[in-house]
This record gives sequence, structure tokens and C-alpha cells, in this order.
Amino acid sequence: MSHLAHTVAVRATGVDMFFGTPENRVVALKQAEFEARRGELIMLVGPSGCGKTTLLSVIAGTLTPQAGTVEVFGQRLDGLGQEALTAFRRRNLGFVFQSFNLIPTLTVVENVMVPLLIQGRSFGEARASALAILDKVGLKGREDGRPNALSGGQQQRGAIARALVHEPPLLICDEPTSALDKDTGGHIMQLVRDLSRSPERCVVVVTHDHRIFRFADRIAEMEDGRISRVVDDPKLLDTTHL
Amino acid sequence: MYRLALNMLFGDRAKLAMLLCGLAFSALLMAQQSSVFFGIMSWTYTPMVNIRAQVWVSDPMVEQVNDAKPLRDTDLGRVRSVDGVAWAAPLHTSFVQARMQDGNFKLITLVGIDADTFAGAPAVLSQGRIEDLRLPDTVIVDEWGAALMGRMGVGPDGKPKNTPLQVGDTFEINDIQARIVGICRVKRAFTGGPFVYTTYDRAKGYTLGARRTLSFMLVEPQKGVAPAELCDRIERDTGLKAWTSDTVIWSWGERSLARNTFWWFWTNTGIPFSFGTAVLLGLFVGIAISGQTFYSFVLENLKYFAAIKAMGAGMGVIARMLFVQAFTAGLIGFGLGAGMAQAIGRVMIEKGMPPFVMYPQILWATFALVLGISFVSAVIGIIKVSRVDAASVFRG
Repeated sequence: MSHLAHTVAVRATGVDMFFGTPENRVVALKQAEFEARRGELIMLVGPSGCGKTTLLSVIAGTLTPQAGTVEVFGQRLDGLGQEALTAFRRRNLGFVFQSFNLIPTLTVVENVMVPLLIQGRSFGEARASALAILDKVGLKGREDGRPNALSGGQQQRGAIARALVHEPPLLICDEPTSALDKDTGGHIMQLVRDLSRSPERCVVVVTHDHRIFRFADRIAEMEDGRISRVVDDPKLLDTTHL
Repeated sequence: MYRLALNMLFGDRAKLAMLLCGLAFSALLMAQQSSVFFGIMSWTYTPMVNIRAQVWVSDPMVEQVNDAKPLRDTDLGRVRSVDGVAWAAPLHTSFVQARMQDGNFKLITLVGIDADTFAGAPAVLSQGRIEDLRLPDTVIVDEWGAALMGRMGVGPDGKPKNTPLQVGDTFEINDIQARIVGICRVKRAFTGGPFVYTTYDRAKGYTLGARRTLSFMLVEPQKGVAPAELCDRIERDTGLKAWTSDTVIWSWGERSLARNTFWWFWTNTGIPFSFGTAVLLGLFVGIAISGQTFYSFVLENLKYFAAIKAMGAGMGVIARMLFVQAFTAGLIGFGLGAGMAQAIGRVMIEKGMPPFVMYPQILWATFALVLGISFVSAVIGIIKVSRVDAASVFRG
């Protein structure tokens, strides 16, 4: 790895996040500390309810923590208003969702165009970029079909294309392989890894799927609302509770 | 994004069809009922259309054209003497019973016009000549009346004719023979009775017992004198009421007898309430169906809107997407509904019943109301989407 790989892409410090009323409080994150580096693919793992998704939402700027600081590629997110957070996500984030979230009434290429159109690009320009990335993810020839005409793996490829079409520095993947079989999941993760290998990019993956741990540069294990440890080798993890 | 918003809308054909059905039905109901309403209301001032004159003069207490209060015959001379009057002719209008050959009676609108000038005569005669009204016991009947009264007629063999009355046929008014010398084409009246034209003097004979028979005076202004100005002069010099023949009911001219008649029926009958209820029903049905369908469309797409929000689309963009979708559906729904209303109207106009007048204002108002329905639908959707947390996309 280059020296850039060791510079920080995402840093969350002392993050508290709770839901509900003060009398009936559910603590999701408790003094959580998290760090992801440029050029790496880091996985967040842990049992259900440990706060993975909440931490992912905080990093993505879709949730604002009650305490702590969050910095993504040098930009402090805590203290930003909703409008600024929205603009930040538009420029800097790509999302891959567990259930793909491809809009069924749009064609595959139209789905991939969405982030570019949100940025204000012209329809023609967005279509050209979308077609180029669909080619990269192996969906050439399927661009004008509807998502429900694709297999699960192909749909997730489409979702990855949508997440990367506007070249965001931070790629957020929420359980990207949970709806896929082992081989397809492996191919998808290989694709994510290949496409995201850049010193100017960072990939954060939340997963329960230990079959894909081998694609991670590092794995952060969560427990009770905080990171309990970070390992470089998946073999060091006890996966029985995941 | 707006193109994609439209593709989202058109991509769900079942929902779109439901949405368009609601909007089209609503537009149809509003446009069709309003057109029938204005059609019926246009019948209220039919005499103003069928009896043509630039200025009408009446008793000061007259409120509408179907309610004539007889004048003295000497009033005609007073009006003729007003500066700016080119000519003035007497006009008799009354509702009388006509007795058909089979013994049935039919209420008719008897119109007596000046035999010298034929001022107020029907514009179109499909049979006969207007001059023949100068012959004894003669009348001219309108086409619809001829058909209606023909069904009551008896042929030479003594059997019902079932064919429209023709020139040469006869019937009786107050036991006095009326011989048809012409068939005219005029607009039907609110009262439903056929128009039967005769001369003013003969009309006096047909209405035996009436002390005064001068219902209105038809006046032509001299060249260069505006009708409204002449009305002022007549009122000032004679104390009578003078009206213009303007039949544009949307105007605010207080001198229009047609407009006064229209508003008299508006305020003194239950017709506007009845049709207004139907129009409101159309509006509420439209809001209910379209609002519900659009809401369900938004609900089905909620997780995608949440994903779009997470990807960095502000609520402004999403609101505009929803407005584009709702207004596009509204536009198409209005087109379909107004088109159907036009088609139904065409059939109505061909059949003559019920009356149908689709003013451009009706279309504009319907268009505005359908867009209002779309607006409400979009706002309901926007409220729902605005309450969706972008973070919800990570919860499966």
C-alpha cells in the first residue's frame, strides 16, 4: 500500500447516539470510535443490534449523533445542517443497499443515472457515464431492461454501478451480499474491491456474511454500541456469534 | 430528474390507469355537468336570441325576459319620440294554450311581431316566407315545435300523423284557427313551449280578454348612437326600462336583459344548487380517487424516494418530481375527461337534449380544478416523503 493508504478517510470520535425519549432511551452508539483509511476496504461486523447500521448512518450523514465528531475526507459532518449534509452526500457518497433499491419502474441505465441527475448533470451526459460503468460491471446489453428482469447478482451489479457512477470518495455498502448466494456474493465483493481500489477512495461494508471477510483489508468488530477491536486477518475473528 | 420522475409514473401502468381514471372521471363530471347547467341556463334568455333587436324596452318592474309586464300602446309613441331612436316596433310575448287536432293542448310561446317591419322575426325559415304572415290566421312555428305538435296532429284519415307539422297544417289558439305558413329554426326555450310567431295585431286576437298586449318594444338606434346610450335616453325621457340585447352572460353590463334573466334564474331557482352539487361531487370524487391513488403510488415508491434522499437529493428536488408526476397525470386526466365531455356534448347537441353549452371558461375552470386535485395529491405525497428518514434505507 502507498503512504496515502494510511491517511484517514473516515474518523468518528466519541460518538453517542440514542433513540427514544430521555425516560425510555435506547442507546445505539456509546462513545464509539471508528477510523477508515484511504484506499482500504473496511468491514463493520458484529451481532444484530450492536450499532453497525447506526454507525454507518452516522458516517453517511443520514443520522446526526448526539455527541462526538465525525470527519469524512477532511469534512466535519457534526454541526452541518440538513441541507449541507444532503449536498455532502450528493458529492461524496455512493450507496449499495441490502435490497438493491433499484427503482423497478425505471430501466437499469436510468437507475444508474440517478446520482448524476441529482448532481444536475444533463440527461445525455448522465446516460453516457451510466452506460460506461454498466459496461465495467458486466451489464452491457441489459441497460434498457427493467431491474426485475435481472438476477439478484445482476441487480447488485447495477446497484454498484449506481453507487460508483459519480465517482464518490466514500462507498457505503449495507449487507451487499446478504441476498446473494456464496459464488455471486464473492463475485460482487471482488467487483467492489476492484472498482474501489484507489487511494482516493474508501469502502465501508457492514455485513454479517463471514464468507466475504476475505475481501476486507481490515475488519472492525462492534459490540454494544462501540468498536471492540479491529483486525487485519479475518481468521482472528470469532465468527460464531455473527 | 423530471424525465425520470415521468418514467417512474409511466412505468407503473396499473397505478397510472387508476390515477387517470379518477382524474378523467372528475374532469368529465365537472365539465359535463357545468356545460349542461349553462346549456339549461342559456335557455332562460332564449327570447333574446330568437327575437333580434338592439334595444328592448319594458315596464320598469320587469326583471327578466320571460316575465313581461304589459305596457300601454301609447308608450310606443313615447319611445319613438326619443332622440336617437331610428324605429321602434311593438312585441307581444305570452304563454298560451294551443289546441291540436286530436284535442290535446300544448303550451306555446306566442310571439307577435310588427306586420309592417317584421322586426323580431326569426332569422332562419326552413319552410315558407315571412311575408305570408300578412295573410289571415297565419302563424310560423319553430322546427322543434312542429315536430312536437306533429305527434299530436291527425291526418286526413283521422289517425295520428306522427310526422312534423307542415306548411298548410292548422291548429287552434283560443278557438281561433292558426294556419302554418312557415317553419323557422330558433333556439329552444326554458319553458319548453314551441315558439309560434304571428303578427302583433293577430296576437291581440289570439289573447282575447287581455287588456294590454304590448309586452316589449324593439328599438333600433340611429346610426352613431350606442345601444347603451340610447337606453339611458329612453329611461330618462319615458321612465320605462331599456335593455341592450347583449347575451354575453359573463359581462358585467347591467343593461343586458339576457344577463339579468340568467342571474334571476340563478338566484331564484334551485338549478345552480343542484348542478353545483354535482360539480362539487366531481371535485371530491377526483380528490378522493386521485389523492388516494397518488398516495399509494408514493407509498409504494417510498423506499426509493428514501434512497434518492440518501443519495443526496434535497426535498426540493423530490417535491418537484412529485409535482411533475401529479401535474402530468392531471394534464392527461383533464384531456381525457374534457374529451369525453366534448364527445358526450356532441351527442347531446345532435339530439338537442339536454342542452349543452361548453364555454371556454368551463374548460379553464375544470382544468384549474383538476390541477388543484393534482396539487393536493402531490402535497399529500410530499408530506409523506418529507417524513421519511434517509437513514431508513439502511434498515432493509
